[in-house]
Amino acid sequence: MEHQEYQELLALHALDALDASEARVLEEHLGTCADCRAEMIELRDGAALLAHAATPAEPSAEVRNRILSSVSAQREEAQSPSAPSARVVPLQPRATRNIWTIGLRLAAAIAFVALLTGVIVLWRRDVRMRQEIAQLSRQVNTQQHELVRDRSVLDRQRDALALLNSPTAKKMELAGSQTAQSARGTFVYDPKTGRAILMAEGLPATPAEKAYELWFIPKGHSPMAGRIFTVDASGHAMLPEQMPPEAMDGAVVAITLEPKKGSAVPTGAIYLSSPSS
Amino acid sequence: MQAEPSQYSDNDLLHAVARKDEAALAAIYDRYRLILFGLILRILHDRAEAEDVLQEVFLQVWRRAADFDEARGRAFTWLVTIARSRALDRLRSAGSRARLAEGAAQTPRDDVSDAALDALKSETSAIVREALAQLPDEQRRTLFLAYFEGLTQVEIAARLGDPLGTVKTRMRSGVIKLRELLGQTRDLI
Repeated sequence: MEHQEYQELLALHALDALDASEARVLEEHLGTCADCRAEMIELRDGAALLAHAATPAEPSAEVRNRILSSVSAQREEAQSPSAPSARVVPLQPRATRNIWTIGLRLAAAIAFVALLTGVIVLWRRDVRMRQEIAQLSRQVNTQQHELVRDRSVLDRQRDALALLNSPTAKKMELAGSQTAQSARGTFVYDPKTGRAILMAEGLPATPAEKAYELWFIPKGHSPMAGRIFTVDASGHAMLPEQMPPEAMDGAVVAITLEPKKGSAVPTGAIYLSSPSS
Repeated sequence: MQAEPSQYSDNDLLHAVARKDEAALAAIYDRYRLILFGLILRILHDRAEAEDVLQEVFLQVWRRAADFDEARGRAFTWLVTIARSRALDRLRSAGSRARLAEGAAQTPRDDVSDAALDALKSETSAIVREALAQLPDEQRRTLFLAYFEGLTQVEIAARLGDPLGTVKTRMRSGVIKLRELLGQTRDLI
């Protein structure tokens, strides 16, 4: 409802003439709108003038007496509880004091136990909450790692696409060796930037404690180590690489199986290789 | 409150009642009994019942005077609101309905002392009555149905056979006129 609509209800509310549901909605608005509240006060003051439209009438004098005597009686009643105790105290001072002392001690003991219970409850809740927080933050960490990993996969795929689309990119087909006859591979690189990507398929699953290693073998040079990698269950691998400048001109690209941490010079069998020119 | 009560404002008196000053309660009673009893009688049409309600009203004033806040309206409004809602509550209770039906035709006899009535006539009531007399009949009737019979806008529309929109407009402009009247004559009223 708009402010304007509430305002139209105010005068009716001053006469208590709204339906219950409308009145409730307006009361809620009055709780938050100081302007309407101020106007409501003025309108109620105005509506109250209607009382003057009734013919004034004189009640019987008894009414005044009944009211005032009822009020006096109430006041005496309100004062009376203190009177008897004031009379009792001098008669039994010791007993009263003892009761007070015991009462106070009892109250203090109860308060202490309550406090202790409260402290223990709070402490246990604190421990539980700390555990929950630790668990939550571990979950967050895991999710962050997954996110980072997903993002790096995406980045790699984007880089690969950019490389594949680059007009200056060069492509080499890699063929499987005797050891891995069904393996095939493609190596794409951009001679301008040196960015490269290896896409391999049909490689045997990587044995435990082993890893595939990429090699660049420029003409007249010893092999230069590239990155090490493993393949997924279906024998696929996609590996971004930065090609050394020496390898740009007609180097052979080859893959061997090496110890898990890689080797400085090839030690294992060749699995994939580009044709030597 | 030992001094002449008339020199105290309504607000002062209510604050004194909040401090359980019986003389202040008596002063408020003397100041407003005629108009409040007139209002209650107009709603209930039965003197005995109206006197009963008047007593309830002043006992409520005694108990609840601390709730009065002059920032939220005039003391007169506070008193009249208590009286009206107490009387309407009584009207809505089953016993009163039956009695109301019996005595509906009979107009209440108001025994008002001439002096008190003159005092009232010379001031506020006369100004308000004059203003109400200038309203169109239908508008006045609508306001009275809401105020003295406690009917809602929907009930009034049904009673008068008028469209709800018309009833709303009449009530709204009537209340707004009364507010203006209050603004113009605040010193008097």
